[in-house]
Amino acid sequence: MIAVRDLELRVAGKPLLAAMSFDIGAGEFVSILGRNGAGKTTLLRALAGLRPADGGSVALQSRSVAAFSPAERSRAIAFVTSDDVFADRLTVRDVIAAGRYPHHRWWQWTQDSHDAKAIAGALEAVELQSFADREFATLSSGERQRVWIALAIAQEAPLLFLDEPTGHLDLRAAQHVLKLLREQVHAGKTVVCVLHDPNEAAAYADRAMLLAAGGILAFDRRDRALTPALLEQAYGLKMESVTTPSGISRIFPSAT
Amino acid sequence: MILRFAALAAGLLGVAAGALLVGGTVLWPAAIWNALLHPNSGEIATIVWQLRLPRIAIGAFVGASLAIAGALLQGLLRNPLVDPYLTGVSAGAAVAIVLSISAGVAAAAVPALGFAAGLATAITVAALARRGASLDATRLILAGVSLSSLFAAIIALVLTRVQGAGSAPAIVSWLAGTLSGRSWGDLFFAAPYAFLGVVLALLSAPALNALRLGDTRAAAVGVDVGRAQWTILASSSLLAASAVTLSGTIGFVGLIVPHIARRMVGSDARYVLAASALLGAALTIVADALSRTLFAPAEIPIGVLLAFIGVPAFLYLYLRDRRTAAA
Repeated sequence: MIAVRDLELRVAGKPLLAAMSFDIGAGEFVSILGRNGAGKTTLLRALAGLRPADGGSVALQSRSVAAFSPAERSRAIAFVTSDDVFADRLTVRDVIAAGRYPHHRWWQWTQDSHDAKAIAGALEAVELQSFADREFATLSSGERQRVWIALAIAQEAPLLFLDEPTGHLDLRAAQHVLKLLREQVHAGKTVVCVLHDPNEAAAYADRAMLLAAGGILAFDRRDRALTPALLEQAYGLKMESVTTPSGISRIFPSAT
Repeated sequence: MILRFAALAAGLLGVAAGALLVGGTVLWPAAIWNALLHPNSGEIATIVWQLRLPRIAIGAFVGASLAIAGALLQGLLRNPLVDPYLTGVSAGAAVAIVLSISAGVAAAAVPALGFAAGLATAITVAALARRGASLDATRLILAGVSLSSLFAAIIALVLTRVQGAGSAPAIVSWLAGTLSGRSWGDLFFAAPYAFLGVVLALLSAPALNALRLGDTRAAAVGVDVGRAQWTILASSSLLAASAVTLSGTIGFVGLIVPHIARRMVGSDARYVLAASALLGAALTIVADALSRTLFAPAEIPIGVLLAFIGVPAFLYLYLRDRRTAAA
Protein backbone atom coordinates (compact mmCIF):
# COMPACT_ATOMS: atom_id res chain seq x y z
CA MET A 1 0.00 0.00 0.00
CA ILE A 2 2.75 2.45 0.98
CA ALA A 3 6.03 2.14 -0.87
CA VAL A 4 9.00 4.17 0.34
CA ARG A 5 12.11 4.31 -1.86
CA ASP A 6 15.46 5.92 -0.98
CA LEU A 7 13.68 8.42 1.21
CA GLU A 8 15.85 11.20 2.57
CA LEU A 9 14.71 13.75 5.15
CA ARG A 10 16.59 16.81 6.28
CA VAL A 11 15.90 19.22 9.11
CA ALA A 12 17.32 22.74 8.80
CA GLY A 13 19.60 21.52 6.02
CA LYS A 14 21.09 18.69 8.07
CA PRO A 15 20.41 15.07 7.12
CA LEU A 16 18.14 13.37 9.63
CA LEU A 17 17.22 10.14 7.89
CA ALA A 18 18.58 8.74 4.65
CA ALA A 19 18.41 5.74 2.35
CA MET A 20 15.08 4.55 3.73
CA SER A 21 13.27 1.96 1.63
CA PHE A 22 10.40 -0.15 2.90
CA ASP A 23 6.81 -1.16 2.23
CA ILE A 24 3.76 -1.18 4.46
CA GLY A 25 0.87 -3.41 3.46
CA ALA A 26 -2.85 -2.82 3.76
CA GLY A 27 -4.31 -3.87 7.10
CA GLU A 28 -1.01 -3.77 8.96
CA PHE A 29 -0.39 -2.23 12.37
CA VAL A 30 3.13 -0.81 12.30
CA SER A 31 4.83 0.95 15.19
CA ILE A 32 7.83 3.25 14.92
CA LEU A 33 10.24 3.49 17.85
CA GLY A 34 13.49 5.31 18.52
CA ARG A 35 15.14 7.89 20.72
CA ASN A 36 13.93 11.49 20.91
CA GLY A 37 15.27 13.25 17.85
CA ALA A 38 15.73 10.02 15.89
CA GLY A 39 13.27 11.31 13.30
CA LYS A 40 10.09 9.39 14.15
CA THR A 41 7.71 12.34 13.84
CA THR A 42 9.46 13.72 10.76
CA LEU A 43 9.23 10.34 9.07
CA LEU A 44 5.56 10.00 9.98
CA ARG A 45 4.79 13.46 8.60
CA ALA A 46 6.62 12.63 5.37
CA LEU A 47 4.70 9.36 5.03
CA ALA A 48 1.47 11.30 5.56
CA GLY A 49 2.43 13.81 2.87
CA LEU A 50 2.44 16.67 5.37
CA ARG A 51 6.06 17.50 4.61
CA PRO A 52 7.96 17.01 1.37
CA ALA A 53 10.68 14.41 0.95
CA ASP A 54 14.17 15.86 0.55
CA GLY A 55 15.07 12.91 -1.64
CA GLY A 56 13.53 9.64 -2.79
CA SER A 57 9.80 9.04 -2.82
CA VAL A 58 6.77 8.04 -0.81
CA ALA A 59 4.07 6.41 -2.90
CA LEU A 60 0.56 5.42 -1.94
CA GLN A 61 -0.85 2.73 -4.22
CA SER A 62 1.87 3.49 -6.78
CA ARG A 63 1.15 7.21 -6.78
CA SER A 64 3.49 9.75 -5.19
CA VAL A 65 1.83 11.41 -2.16
CA ALA A 66 3.36 14.70 -3.31
CA ALA A 67 1.03 14.57 -6.33
CA PHE A 68 -2.15 14.36 -4.21
CA SER A 69 -4.21 17.52 -3.73
CA PRO A 70 -4.67 18.39 -0.04
CA ALA A 71 -8.26 17.14 0.04
CA GLU A 72 -7.46 14.01 -1.94
CA ARG A 73 -4.58 13.20 0.40
CA SER A 74 -6.79 13.70 3.45
CA ARG A 75 -9.39 11.30 2.12
CA ALA A 76 -6.62 8.67 1.94
CA ILE A 77 -4.55 9.48 5.02
CA ALA A 78 -5.60 10.63 8.48
CA PHE A 79 -2.88 12.03 10.71
CA VAL A 80 -3.32 12.25 14.47
CA THR A 81 -1.15 14.60 16.46
CA SER A 82 -1.46 15.25 20.19
CA ASP A 83 -0.50 18.94 20.10
CA ASP A 84 -2.72 20.81 22.45
CA VAL A 85 -5.34 23.18 21.18
CA PHE A 86 -6.95 26.26 22.60
CA ALA A 87 -10.30 27.24 21.22
CA ASP A 88 -13.07 29.01 23.03
CA ARG A 89 -16.41 27.15 23.14
CA LEU A 90 -15.26 24.15 21.12
CA THR A 91 -17.35 21.02 21.57
CA VAL A 92 -16.33 17.42 20.93
CA ARG A 93 -18.66 17.33 17.96
CA ASP A 94 -17.06 20.49 16.50
CA VAL A 95 -13.66 18.80 16.70
CA ILE A 96 -14.78 15.58 15.06
CA ALA A 97 -16.73 17.44 12.36
CA ALA A 98 -13.41 18.85 11.10
CA GLY A 99 -12.68 15.33 9.84
CA ARG A 100 -15.38 15.84 7.21
CA TYR A 101 -13.54 18.79 5.63
CA PRO A 102 -11.89 16.82 2.79
CA HIS A 103 -15.27 15.39 1.76
CA HIS A 104 -16.76 18.80 1.08
CA ARG A 105 -16.38 21.06 -1.93
CA TRP A 106 -15.97 24.75 -1.23
CA TRP A 107 -19.63 25.53 -1.71
CA GLN A 108 -20.80 22.70 0.54
CA TRP A 109 -21.22 24.52 3.78
CA THR A 110 -23.51 22.24 5.68
CA GLN A 111 -23.32 18.64 6.84
CA ASP A 112 -25.34 16.03 5.03
CA SER A 113 -26.65 12.75 6.39
CA HIS A 114 -23.45 10.93 5.46
CA ASP A 115 -21.41 13.42 7.51
CA ALA A 116 -23.72 12.93 10.46
CA LYS A 117 -23.35 9.16 10.15
CA ALA A 118 -19.56 9.34 9.93
CA ILE A 119 -19.40 11.57 13.01
CA ALA A 120 -21.77 9.36 14.99
CA GLY A 121 -19.80 6.28 13.95
CA ALA A 122 -16.52 7.89 15.01
CA LEU A 123 -17.96 8.81 18.42
CA GLU A 124 -19.15 5.26 18.84
CA ALA A 125 -15.80 3.75 17.81
CA VAL A 126 -14.01 5.63 20.58
CA GLU A 127 -16.88 5.16 23.06
CA LEU A 128 -17.58 8.87 23.52
CA GLN A 129 -21.21 8.98 22.37
CA SER A 130 -22.33 10.77 25.51
CA PHE A 131 -19.57 13.38 25.12
CA ALA A 132 -20.70 14.87 21.80
CA ASP A 133 -21.85 18.19 23.23
CA ARG A 134 -19.25 18.49 25.99
CA GLU A 135 -16.76 21.31 25.75
CA PHE A 136 -13.44 19.95 24.57
CA ALA A 137 -11.55 21.96 27.20
CA THR A 138 -13.23 19.99 30.00
CA LEU A 139 -11.95 16.58 28.87
CA SER A 140 -9.10 14.57 30.40
CA SER A 141 -5.95 13.76 28.39
CA GLY A 142 -7.17 10.24 27.70
CA GLU A 143 -10.55 11.48 26.50
CA ARG A 144 -8.89 14.14 24.32
CA GLN A 145 -6.72 11.51 22.69
CA ARG A 146 -9.80 9.48 21.88
CA VAL A 147 -11.42 12.57 20.37
CA TRP A 148 -8.37 13.10 18.13
CA ILE A 149 -8.68 9.49 17.01
CA ALA A 150 -12.40 9.97 16.39
CA LEU A 151 -11.57 13.00 14.23
CA ALA A 152 -9.32 10.74 12.14
CA ILE A 153 -11.97 8.02 11.95
CA ALA A 154 -14.57 10.54 10.78
CA GLN A 155 -12.18 11.34 7.94
CA GLU A 156 -12.91 7.81 6.61
CA ALA A 157 -9.35 7.43 5.33
CA PRO A 158 -8.01 3.90 4.99
CA LEU A 159 -4.66 4.95 6.49
CA LEU A 160 -4.32 6.11 10.06
CA PHE A 161 -1.03 7.70 11.16
CA LEU A 162 -0.56 8.59 14.81
CA ASP A 163 2.22 10.50 16.53
CA GLU A 164 2.65 9.24 20.12
CA PRO A 165 -1.03 8.60 20.83
CA THR A 166 -0.20 7.23 24.29
CA GLY A 167 2.16 10.10 25.15
CA HIS A 168 0.64 11.67 28.25
CA LEU A 169 -1.75 8.91 29.15
CA ASP A 170 -2.05 6.79 32.27
CA LEU A 171 -1.81 3.02 31.96
CA ARG A 172 -5.52 2.47 31.60
CA ALA A 173 -6.09 5.27 29.09
CA ALA A 174 -3.10 4.10 27.05
CA GLN A 175 -4.46 0.55 26.88
CA HIS A 176 -7.82 1.91 25.83
CA VAL A 177 -6.30 3.89 22.96
CA LEU A 178 -4.19 0.97 21.75
CA LYS A 179 -7.18 -1.34 21.90
CA LEU A 180 -9.13 1.16 19.78
CA LEU A 181 -6.34 1.20 17.21
CA ARG A 182 -6.29 -2.58 17.11
CA GLU A 183 -10.06 -2.50 16.46
CA GLN A 184 -9.48 -0.09 13.59
CA VAL A 185 -7.01 -2.56 12.08
CA HIS A 186 -9.62 -5.31 12.43
CA ALA A 187 -12.07 -3.02 10.66
CA GLY A 188 -9.68 -2.92 7.70
CA LYS A 189 -7.53 0.17 8.32
CA THR A 190 -3.79 0.40 8.13
CA VAL A 191 -2.28 1.93 11.27
CA VAL A 192 1.20 3.46 11.54
CA CYS A 193 1.95 4.72 14.98
CA VAL A 194 4.90 6.27 16.83
CA LEU A 195 5.21 4.69 20.28
CA HIS A 196 7.70 5.04 23.12
CA ASP A 197 7.08 1.85 25.03
CA PRO A 198 8.43 -1.29 23.34
CA ASN A 199 6.02 -3.35 25.42
CA GLU A 200 3.02 -1.46 23.99
CA ALA A 201 4.43 -2.05 20.51
CA ALA A 202 5.04 -5.72 21.25
CA ALA A 203 1.52 -6.18 22.56
CA TYR A 204 -0.41 -4.41 19.78
CA ALA A 205 1.60 -3.88 16.59
CA ASP A 206 2.26 -6.46 13.87
CA ARG A 207 5.62 -5.01 12.89
CA ALA A 208 8.00 -2.59 14.52
CA MET A 209 10.49 -0.17 13.01
CA LEU A 210 13.47 0.95 15.07
CA LEU A 211 15.09 4.20 13.96
CA ALA A 212 18.69 4.93 14.94
CA ALA A 213 21.80 6.59 13.53
CA GLY A 214 20.04 8.29 10.63
CA GLY A 215 18.25 5.25 9.28
CA ILE A 216 16.35 2.08 9.93
CA LEU A 217 18.00 -0.19 12.47
CA ALA A 218 15.35 -2.85 12.13
CA PHE A 219 11.95 -3.22 10.52
CA ASP A 220 10.54 -6.63 11.18
CA ARG A 221 7.90 -8.70 12.89
CA ARG A 222 7.53 -7.49 16.45
CA ASP A 223 9.22 -10.53 18.01
CA ARG A 224 12.25 -10.09 15.76
CA ALA A 225 12.55 -6.29 15.94
CA LEU A 226 11.85 -5.73 19.61
CA THR A 227 14.69 -7.80 21.02
CA PRO A 228 16.92 -6.68 23.90
CA ALA A 229 19.93 -6.59 21.58
CA LEU A 230 18.29 -4.31 18.97
CA LEU A 231 16.64 -2.09 21.57
CA GLU A 232 20.04 -1.70 23.26
CA GLN A 233 21.40 -0.37 19.99
CA ALA A 234 18.40 1.87 19.43
CA TYR A 235 18.33 3.46 22.87
CA GLY A 236 21.95 3.04 24.00
CA LEU A 237 20.77 1.37 27.20
CA LYS A 238 21.30 -2.13 28.55
CA MET A 239 18.01 -3.99 28.21
CA GLU A 240 16.71 -7.24 29.54
CA SER A 241 13.57 -9.20 29.03
CA VAL A 242 11.59 -11.38 31.40
CA THR A 243 8.62 -13.60 30.87
CA THR A 244 5.90 -13.13 33.42
CA PRO A 245 4.24 -16.13 35.07
CA SER A 246 1.27 -15.54 32.80
CA GLY A 247 3.51 -15.94 29.76
CA ILE A 248 3.86 -12.32 28.61
CA SER A 249 7.33 -11.24 27.60
CA ARG A 250 8.39 -7.80 28.88
CA ILE A 251 11.43 -5.73 28.00
CA PHE A 252 12.89 -2.99 30.18
CA PRO A 253 16.19 -1.23 30.84
CA SER A 254 18.27 -3.17 33.34
CA ALA A 255 19.47 -1.41 36.46
CA THR A 256 23.16 -0.54 36.22
CA MET B 1 -29.91 28.43 16.42
CA ILE B 2 -32.46 29.89 13.99
CA LEU B 3 -34.21 31.51 16.94
CA ARG B 4 -30.98 33.09 18.14
CA PHE B 5 -30.29 34.55 14.71
CA ALA B 6 -33.87 35.75 14.40
CA ALA B 7 -33.46 37.49 17.76
CA LEU B 8 -30.19 39.08 16.63
CA ALA B 9 -31.70 40.27 13.35
CA ALA B 10 -34.77 41.62 15.13
CA GLY B 11 -32.50 43.40 17.61
CA LEU B 12 -30.56 45.00 14.77
CA LEU B 13 -33.75 46.20 13.06
CA GLY B 14 -35.03 47.49 16.38
CA VAL B 15 -31.98 49.58 17.16
CA ALA B 16 -31.86 50.87 13.57
CA ALA B 17 -35.48 52.00 13.86
CA GLY B 18 -34.79 53.53 17.26
CA ALA B 19 -31.76 55.39 15.92
CA LEU B 20 -33.96 57.00 13.25
CA LEU B 21 -36.02 58.63 15.99
CA VAL B 22 -33.26 60.34 17.92
CA GLY B 23 -30.92 63.17 17.05
CA GLY B 24 -30.81 66.95 17.07
CA THR B 25 -34.60 66.97 16.70
CA VAL B 26 -36.70 64.08 17.95
CA LEU B 27 -38.90 62.81 15.13
CA TRP B 28 -42.07 60.84 15.71
CA PRO B 29 -42.59 57.48 14.00
CA ALA B 30 -45.46 58.77 11.87
CA ALA B 31 -43.35 61.63 10.53
CA ILE B 32 -40.47 59.28 9.78
CA TRP B 33 -42.74 56.81 8.06
CA ASN B 34 -44.11 59.57 5.91
CA ALA B 35 -40.60 60.79 5.10
CA LEU B 36 -39.45 57.30 4.22
CA LEU B 37 -42.32 56.93 1.75
CA HIS B 38 -41.84 60.41 0.26
CA PRO B 39 -38.14 61.18 -0.02
CA ASN B 40 -38.66 64.67 -1.43
CA SER B 41 -41.38 65.89 0.90
CA GLY B 42 -39.46 68.60 2.72
CA GLU B 43 -37.22 69.20 5.71
CA ILE B 44 -38.03 66.05 7.66
CA ALA B 45 -37.49 63.89 4.59
CA THR B 46 -34.11 65.53 4.09
CA ILE B 47 -33.14 64.83 7.71
CA VAL B 48 -34.20 61.20 7.39
CA TRP B 49 -32.76 60.51 3.94
CA GLN B 50 -29.65 62.66 3.93
CA LEU B 51 -28.58 62.61 7.59
CA ARG B 52 -29.97 59.79 9.66
CA LEU B 53 -30.36 56.90 7.22
CA PRO B 54 -26.87 57.14 5.74
CA ARG B 55 -25.44 57.48 9.21
CA ILE B 56 -27.26 54.38 10.43
CA ALA B 57 -26.30 52.46 7.31
CA ILE B 58 -22.67 53.50 7.70
CA GLY B 59 -22.75 52.60 11.40
CA ALA B 60 -24.09 49.16 10.56
CA PHE B 61 -21.55 48.76 7.78
CA VAL B 62 -18.58 49.80 9.91
CA GLY B 63 -19.66 47.72 12.92
CA ALA B 64 -20.31 44.61 10.86
CA SER B 65 -17.06 44.95 8.91
CA LEU B 66 -14.93 45.41 12.01
CA ALA B 67 -16.62 42.54 13.85
CA ILE B 68 -16.20 40.14 10.93
CA ALA B 69 -12.58 41.20 10.47
CA GLY B 70 -11.93 40.64 14.18
CA ALA B 71 -13.59 37.22 14.17
CA LEU B 72 -11.51 36.21 11.13
CA LEU B 73 -8.18 37.26 12.61
CA GLN B 74 -8.92 35.82 16.06
CA GLY B 75 -9.75 32.53 14.38
CA LEU B 76 -6.75 32.58 12.06
CA LEU B 77 -4.25 33.32 14.82
CA ARG B 78 -6.14 31.34 17.50
CA ASN B 79 -5.64 34.35 19.73
CA PRO B 80 -8.59 36.03 21.45
CA LEU B 81 -6.62 39.25 22.02
CA VAL B 82 -6.32 40.06 18.33
CA ASP B 83 -8.30 42.95 16.85
CA PRO B 84 -8.80 43.91 13.19
CA TYR B 85 -6.18 46.65 13.45
CA LEU B 86 -3.46 44.12 14.27
CA THR B 87 -2.24 44.01 10.68
CA GLY B 88 -1.56 47.74 10.75
CA VAL B 89 -4.57 48.64 8.62
CA SER B 90 -5.74 51.46 10.85
CA ALA B 91 -2.29 52.80 11.64
CA GLY B 92 -1.37 52.87 7.96
CA ALA B 93 -4.63 54.55 7.03
CA ALA B 94 -4.29 56.99 9.92
CA VAL B 95 -0.81 58.12 8.86
CA ALA B 96 -1.94 58.69 5.29
CA ILE B 97 -5.07 60.54 6.37
CA VAL B 98 -3.34 62.66 9.01
CA LEU B 99 -0.59 63.60 6.57
CA SER B 100 -3.02 64.45 3.81
CA ILE B 101 -5.29 66.51 6.06
CA SER B 102 -2.33 68.47 7.43
CA ALA B 103 -0.98 68.96 3.91
CA GLY B 104 -4.37 70.28 2.83
CA VAL B 105 -5.25 67.55 0.35
CA ALA B 106 -8.82 67.90 -0.92
CA ALA B 107 -11.24 66.29 1.54
CA ALA B 108 -12.81 64.13 -1.15
CA ALA B 109 -9.50 62.39 -1.88
CA VAL B 110 -8.68 61.64 1.76
CA PRO B 111 -10.69 58.42 2.28
CA ALA B 112 -9.26 56.82 -0.87
CA LEU B 113 -5.74 57.65 0.24
CA GLY B 114 -6.44 56.18 3.67
CA PHE B 115 -7.88 53.03 2.18
CA ALA B 116 -4.89 52.50 -0.09
CA ALA B 117 -2.39 53.14 2.70
CA GLY B 118 -4.24 50.79 5.06
CA LEU B 119 -4.17 47.96 2.55
CA ALA B 120 -0.55 48.66 1.67
CA THR B 121 0.38 48.37 5.33
CA ALA B 122 -1.46 45.08 5.70
CA ILE B 123 0.36 43.71 2.64
CA THR B 124 3.72 44.82 4.08
CA VAL B 125 2.95 43.17 7.42
CA ALA B 126 1.89 39.95 5.67
CA ALA B 127 5.05 39.96 3.56
CA LEU B 128 7.17 40.35 6.69
CA ALA B 129 5.32 37.47 8.37
CA ARG B 130 5.69 35.11 5.42
CA ARG B 131 7.44 31.82 5.95
CA GLY B 132 7.44 29.66 2.85
CA ALA B 133 3.90 29.48 1.54
CA SER B 134 2.29 30.16 4.91
CA LEU B 135 2.24 32.85 7.57
CA ASP B 136 3.89 32.74 10.96
CA ALA B 137 1.44 33.94 13.61
CA THR B 138 4.05 35.36 15.96
CA ARG B 139 5.84 37.20 13.19
CA LEU B 140 2.53 38.58 11.93
CA ILE B 141 1.70 39.97 15.36
CA LEU B 142 5.22 41.38 15.87
CA ALA B 143 5.32 43.00 12.43
CA GLY B 144 1.83 44.46 12.87
CA VAL B 145 2.52 45.82 16.33
CA SER B 146 5.90 47.33 15.45
CA LEU B 147 4.70 49.01 12.23
CA SER B 148 1.65 50.33 14.09
CA SER B 149 3.80 51.90 16.77
CA LEU B 150 6.06 53.47 14.15
CA PHE B 151 2.99 55.01 12.53
CA ALA B 152 1.66 56.13 15.90
CA ALA B 153 4.93 57.98 16.43
CA ILE B 154 4.61 59.68 13.04
CA ILE B 155 1.06 60.75 13.90
CA ALA B 156 2.20 62.13 17.26
CA LEU B 157 4.90 64.10 15.47
CA VAL B 158 2.42 65.55 12.97
CA LEU B 159 -0.01 66.42 15.77
CA THR B 160 2.65 68.39 17.67
CA ARG B 161 3.47 70.28 14.46
CA VAL B 162 -0.11 71.19 13.57
CA GLN B 163 -1.25 72.14 17.09
CA GLY B 164 -3.45 75.17 16.88
CA ALA B 165 -3.56 75.02 13.09
CA GLY B 166 -6.87 74.81 11.26
CA SER B 167 -6.49 71.14 10.41
CA ALA B 168 -5.99 69.94 14.01
CA PRO B 169 -9.69 69.38 14.91
CA ALA B 170 -10.30 67.36 11.74
CA ILE B 171 -7.32 65.14 12.54
CA VAL B 172 -8.31 64.59 16.15
CA SER B 173 -11.91 63.80 15.26
CA TRP B 174 -10.74 61.30 12.69
CA LEU B 175 -8.35 59.61 15.13
CA ALA B 176 -11.05 59.32 17.81
CA GLY B 177 -13.47 57.80 15.31
CA THR B 178 -16.69 59.42 14.18
CA LEU B 179 -19.57 58.80 11.82
CA SER B 180 -20.54 62.42 11.46
CA GLY B 181 -20.36 64.16 8.10
CA ARG B 182 -20.41 60.93 6.07
CA SER B 183 -22.74 60.54 3.13
CA TRP B 184 -24.14 57.85 0.87
CA GLY B 185 -21.29 58.56 -1.52
CA ASP B 186 -18.67 57.57 1.08
CA LEU B 187 -20.57 54.36 1.75
CA PHE B 188 -20.77 53.49 -1.94
CA PHE B 189 -17.04 54.06 -2.30
CA ALA B 190 -16.18 51.55 0.45
CA ALA B 191 -18.96 49.01 -0.11
CA PRO B 192 -17.49 47.06 -3.05
CA TYR B 193 -14.24 46.36 -1.19
CA ALA B 194 -16.11 45.25 1.91
CA PHE B 195 -18.36 43.09 -0.23
CA LEU B 196 -15.32 41.35 -1.67
CA GLY B 197 -14.05 40.94 1.90
CA VAL B 198 -17.32 39.32 2.98
CA VAL B 199 -17.27 36.91 0.04
CA LEU B 200 -13.72 35.85 0.91
CA ALA B 201 -14.73 35.51 4.57
CA LEU B 202 -17.63 33.22 3.68
CA LEU B 203 -15.39 31.10 1.46
CA SER B 204 -12.91 30.71 4.32
CA ALA B 205 -15.44 29.68 6.96
CA PRO B 206 -14.99 25.88 6.62
CA ALA B 207 -11.19 26.22 6.62
CA LEU B 208 -11.43 28.52 9.62
CA ASN B 209 -13.30 25.78 11.46
CA ALA B 210 -10.48 23.32 10.78
CA LEU B 211 -7.83 25.91 11.70
CA ARG B 212 -9.32 26.09 15.19
CA LEU B 213 -7.59 22.77 15.82
CA GLY B 214 -4.13 24.03 14.87
CA ASP B 215 -2.28 24.33 11.57
CA THR B 216 -1.05 20.72 11.57
CA ARG B 217 -4.50 19.26 12.08
CA ALA B 218 -5.99 21.63 9.52
CA ALA B 219 -3.39 20.47 6.98
CA ALA B 220 -4.08 16.85 7.95
CA VAL B 221 -7.78 17.18 7.13
CA GLY B 222 -6.96 18.70 3.75
CA VAL B 223 -6.91 22.46 4.29
CA ASP B 224 -4.43 24.28 2.06
CA VAL B 225 -3.18 26.20 5.09
CA GLY B 226 -1.14 28.78 3.20
CA ARG B 227 -3.96 29.64 0.85
CA ALA B 228 -6.51 29.80 3.69
CA GLN B 229 -4.26 32.15 5.66
CA TRP B 230 -3.82 34.54 2.72
CA THR B 231 -7.54 34.52 1.96
CA ILE B 232 -8.48 35.27 5.56
CA LEU B 233 -5.87 37.99 5.83
CA ALA B 234 -7.00 39.59 2.57
CA SER B 235 -10.61 39.46 3.68
CA SER B 236 -10.00 41.01 7.10
CA SER B 237 -7.75 43.70 5.63
CA LEU B 238 -10.34 44.71 3.04
CA LEU B 239 -13.05 44.88 5.69
CA ALA B 240 -10.96 46.78 8.22
CA ALA B 241 -9.67 49.23 5.60
CA SER B 242 -13.21 49.93 4.35
CA ALA B 243 -14.39 50.55 7.89
CA VAL B 244 -11.47 52.76 8.85
CA THR B 245 -11.91 54.83 5.71
CA LEU B 246 -15.48 55.62 6.70
CA SER B 247 -15.24 56.09 10.43
CA GLY B 248 -11.65 56.51 11.54
CA THR B 249 -10.35 54.22 14.23
CA ILE B 250 -13.18 52.74 16.24
CA GLY B 251 -11.79 50.34 18.77
CA PHE B 252 -13.52 47.69 20.82
CA VAL B 253 -16.03 46.41 18.24
CA GLY B 254 -13.58 44.21 16.38
CA LEU B 255 -12.00 42.90 19.57
CA ILE B 256 -15.02 42.25 21.76
CA VAL B 257 -17.97 41.50 19.48
CA PRO B 258 -16.54 38.15 18.28
CA HIS B 259 -16.27 37.06 21.93
CA ILE B 260 -19.89 37.93 22.60
CA ALA B 261 -20.86 36.19 19.35
CA ARG B 262 -19.06 32.98 20.36
CA ARG B 263 -20.84 33.14 23.70
CA MET B 264 -24.16 33.24 21.89
CA VAL B 265 -23.69 30.78 19.02
CA GLY B 266 -20.65 28.61 19.89
CA SER B 267 -17.37 28.52 18.01
CA ASP B 268 -18.49 27.35 14.56
CA ALA B 269 -16.99 29.96 12.21
CA ARG B 270 -20.08 30.06 9.99
CA TYR B 271 -22.26 31.11 12.91
CA VAL B 272 -19.62 33.29 14.55
CA LEU B 273 -19.12 35.36 11.39
CA ALA B 274 -22.85 35.92 10.88
CA ALA B 275 -23.55 36.67 14.54
CA SER B 276 -20.54 39.01 14.74
CA ALA B 277 -21.82 40.97 11.76
CA LEU B 278 -25.30 41.43 13.26
CA LEU B 279 -24.01 42.25 16.75
CA GLY B 280 -21.29 44.58 15.49
CA ALA B 281 -23.79 46.49 13.38
CA ALA B 282 -26.31 46.80 16.23
CA LEU B 283 -23.71 47.85 18.79
CA THR B 284 -22.26 50.53 16.53
CA ILE B 285 -25.69 51.96 15.70
CA VAL B 286 -26.56 52.17 19.40
CA ALA B 287 -23.23 53.76 20.30
CA ASP B 288 -23.55 56.29 17.49
CA ALA B 289 -27.12 57.19 18.50
CA LEU B 290 -25.93 57.77 22.06
CA SER B 291 -22.89 59.71 20.91
CA ARG B 292 -25.05 62.26 19.13
CA THR B 293 -27.83 62.53 21.73
CA LEU B 294 -26.24 62.28 25.19
CA PHE B 295 -24.71 65.75 25.12
CA ALA B 296 -26.50 67.16 22.07
CA PRO B 297 -25.73 69.30 20.20
CA ALA B 298 -22.14 68.31 21.08
CA GLU B 299 -21.07 64.85 19.89
CA ILE B 300 -18.85 62.46 21.84
CA PRO B 301 -16.50 60.50 19.57
CA ILE B 302 -18.08 57.10 19.01
CA GLY B 303 -14.80 55.29 19.71
CA VAL B 304 -14.64 56.90 23.15
CA LEU B 305 -18.26 56.08 23.88
CA LEU B 306 -17.87 52.46 22.80
CA ALA B 307 -14.94 52.02 25.12
CA PHE B 308 -16.84 53.63 28.01
CA ILE B 309 -19.80 51.26 27.63
CA GLY B 310 -18.04 48.25 26.27
CA VAL B 311 -15.02 47.79 28.47
CA PRO B 312 -16.92 47.56 31.78
CA ALA B 313 -19.56 45.34 30.18
CA PHE B 314 -16.92 43.04 28.79
CA LEU B 315 -14.91 42.86 32.00
CA TYR B 316 -18.09 42.07 33.88
CA LEU B 317 -18.97 39.26 31.47
CA TYR B 318 -15.51 37.74 31.65
CA LEU B 319 -14.90 38.07 35.36
CA ARG B 320 -18.33 36.65 36.12
CA ASP B 321 -17.64 33.75 33.81
CA ARG B 322 -14.34 32.99 35.52
CA ARG B 323 -16.00 33.01 38.90
CA THR B 324 -18.64 30.54 37.70
CA ALA B 325 -15.92 28.36 36.22
CA ALA B 326 -13.99 28.39 39.50
CA ALA B 327 -17.10 27.47 41.47
